[in-house]
Amino acid sequence: MMRTRISFLLCAILCLASPSWAHVGSPDVYAEGNAGPYKLSVVIRPPLVIPGVAEVDVRVLTPGVSAINIAPLALVGEASKHPPTADAMKIATSDPNYFTGQLWIMAPGSWQIRFTVDGDQGHGVWSVPLPAAAMGTRQMQRGMGVFLAILGVILVIGMTGIVGAAARDAQLAPGESAPPKRRRSAAIAMSVAFALLVAGVILGNWWWKTEAADYSSQVYKPLAMDATLTSGNRLDLKLKGPTWLFRSRFDDFIPDHNHLMHLYMIRWPQMDVVFHLHPDLIASGEFQLALPSVPAGDYHLYADVVHASGFPETMVSTIDLGAISGRALAGDDAEGQGVPVSNASADATNFTLSDGYSMVWNKPPALVARQPIDFSFVLLDRAGRPAPDTQLYMGMLGHAAFVKDDGTVFAHIHPSGTVAMAALMMAESQNNPTSKQPSASTPMEMPGMVMSSDHLPSSVSFPFGFPTPGRYRIFVQMKHGTTIETGIFDATVS
Amino acid sequence: MATATFDSPVTTREPTSIPWYVWCAALAVTSVTIGAHWDVSWHRSIGRDTFWTSAHMAIYLCGVLAGISCGYLIMRSTFAPTAEMAASSVRVFGFRGPLGAFIAAWGGIAMLTSAPFDNWWHNAYGLDVKIISPPHTLLMLGIFGVEIGALLLILAHLNRETAPSPSLQWLLMYIFGLMLVLTMFFRMEYTWDVMLHRAGAYISIALGVPLYYAAMWKASRHRWSCTLMCAFYTVAIIGFILILPLFPASPKLGPVFQPVTQFIPPKFPILLIVPAIALDLLWRRYGESNKLLVSLVSGPLFVLTLVAAEWPFASFLMTNAAKNRFFGAGYLDYGTPSFSFDATRHFVDPQHGLALWTGLGEAMLFAAISVWLGLLLGDWMRKVQR
Repeated sequence: MMRTRISFLLCAILCLASPSWAHVGSPDVYAEGNAGPYKLSVVIRPPLVIPGVAEVDVRVLTPGVSAINIAPLALVGEASKHPPTADAMKIATSDPNYFTGQLWIMAPGSWQIRFTVDGDQGHGVWSVPLPAAAMGTRQMQRGMGVFLAILGVILVIGMTGIVGAAARDAQLAPGESAPPKRRRSAAIAMSVAFALLVAGVILGNWWWKTEAADYSSQVYKPLAMDATLTSGNRLDLKLKGPTWLFRSRFDDFIPDHNHLMHLYMIRWPQMDVVFHLHPDLIASGEFQLALPSVPAGDYHLYADVVHASGFPETMVSTIDLGAISGRALAGDDAEGQGVPVSNASADATNFTLSDGYSMVWNKPPALVARQPIDFSFVLLDRAGRPAPDTQLYMGMLGHAAFVKDDGTVFAHIHPSGTVAMAALMMAESQNNPTSKQPSASTPMEMPGMVMSSDHLPSSVSFPFGFPTPGRYRIFVQMKHGTTIETGIFDATVS
Repeated sequence: MATATFDSPVTTREPTSIPWYVWCAALAVTSVTIGAHWDVSWHRSIGRDTFWTSAHMAIYLCGVLAGISCGYLIMRSTFAPTAEMAASSVRVFGFRGPLGAFIAAWGGIAMLTSAPFDNWWHNAYGLDVKIISPPHTLLMLGIFGVEIGALLLILAHLNRETAPSPSLQWLLMYIFGLMLVLTMFFRMEYTWDVMLHRAGAYISIALGVPLYYAAMWKASRHRWSCTLMCAFYTVAIIGFILILPLFPASPKLGPVFQPVTQFIPPKFPILLIVPAIALDLLWRRYGESNKLLVSLVSGPLFVLTLVAAEWPFASFLMTNAAKNRFFGAGYLDYGTPSFSFDATRHFVDPQHGLALWTGLGEAMLFAAISVWLGLLLGDWMRKVQR
């Protein structure tokens, strides 16, 4: 019974968490990549409402850039071939390597921002996917409301008086004054006009509320997901469509670094157990996998998928599990365990792994919300040296998940940033017209992915920014030999 | 009982020059007409704008001109009136001035109120991509107020004259013509050329446009008033078609479906001049007859002559022959997909038979009601002296 209540509360918290397509509660896009010879670190803050203005900040990591132009265009389809006139970004007066700009995003859907860079090493192009959807509506500020209300009253009373004057005086010959009959007519006309105006205001208010409700219905709602445990300890995930602007599709998912779904299972509320699993699609809108051995507890489930348009979504659910004795972890599946978050120190930067290896976070002195941060981690061997046997984990040096302790934020990050790798591939292929269009079934080199495993570095970094202040847990996954390690770190964000 | 409270130097009089505030009101209406079409063209060609675009300034100049000129006129009439001002004023909550000045000033305030409202609306719900929204409606009401105010300022002068001044009559028809431009502007979404083989387009026109004809004909005392009003409308729209593409523009918003290199003009004007000629001829002979009968004949005449002219003309607009500088059928805004009706020059779900005639029957009924209301309004306007 208690577990049922807790599950209900967890579901409630998850539902209250603001959705933000891929990730939960973290709408800003952080990305790092190369526009030709120039390395850029980009932050895109999408608008709250669509159509609206996205804020774009670029830090140039390769000196010598003289100009950056940005243009929004669709990620797929005919509109992806016709970019609008690009806008020049402004160079910060205090920092020649920091550029800022704004872009109108006119429709919800899968977009890309194309960066065209010029400098002393020539010309370069890079595109960053931007999933765009209305995330909410704004309330009117009190001052503005009072101001408009006063003007509205003036307009209503003014028109009432004008109608009275029209009925009483307008047709009188110059110099005449209104006879009593006209005055009575004017009084009646003013009463009728006032009633009609008040009715108009009431009707206008109803219209306003209808429009607001219409806009609210366009606010993004992610696919819903029901999680159940079936026989054989199989986790069954059924997707359900919300009543959002787009018709939800369950049959257009494309592989994102080799898998149709990346599922994070995190034991709640202590976040002391985490699994990174990859369920298989068994039917339209239904994923399944045989669970590995799982400690009992309530789990938050965060499932990342990418639609064929490049639009990523994170579905959330909860499930209450007893202890499960399941299969051994295999392939890209991974798990990690740490101390409960309530007992953990937010200052710890070293996480000792079960096989004697350790992971170290090169932690910045201050963590501030909405600031871009380079989260850098190093994998050390048992002797405390950089791990000599680092391997690629799903084509990358590492994966990270940032989770807020109140459940309102979940973000699955890669070394290239917060964007879905499949969408990044689509954008990248358009920057180089001679390259093949990406195919959902054909693996190809992903931006940010390292395809050669020779002399791999033992460190990985992730560009990201915490969306809100609070306490976060960071799960970092790297691979050495055949072992996938999961380091767990805590952060207090101001 | 009417008793004179002023010395009455102004009764009926010979035609005089047009006062400065009437010119201001006419300029305000001209400014908003240009601004509105410029703004739509801006959105169809460039896409992105700010509050401070020249098109927006032309729109809000209307409110400023009307507000300042008519506000001054009201203040002057209230606190330091000439004898003529005092004698030809109405009273509103202690203030005095011509009725048109009060209505135009009201329109100016409504327009200026709509500006912050609209700005907030964009921030709260996103940039609206449709014309009809609450703040835009307030703006439209404001514009309508300025237009009506301008009309009444002219009419008060015209009605006080012993013989109608030709210059005031022409100015009245010009203002009515621009009002027709704007009322058709607000019907744009329903009267796009690819919609003209559906009854809906004619219903939207029948709802209100014949009122302008009837009111104009009654108020102006000119035998070709409807024809001339529609000529102003037609010339204005053709002027936009010829002038706007002369200026370069390129999209600054995605998605871009069409390569645009210049401002995109409006669609070719609806052939409203055809029913205008028919109604001028009808009303010349029967216009002063029983209003109900006149309306019942005029409504169907309006719709049938319009459909007879516009239906085949719309077919012509779908052809390559109309893709030129004059008819402008080849201009597509940047957001028009190549598979759309507009780009492929095909009518949207054309209607035939019963569905069409049922719709046109509704249009005739609405047109008749509009004519009847217009005749009543025209009679009232003809008597306005202040």
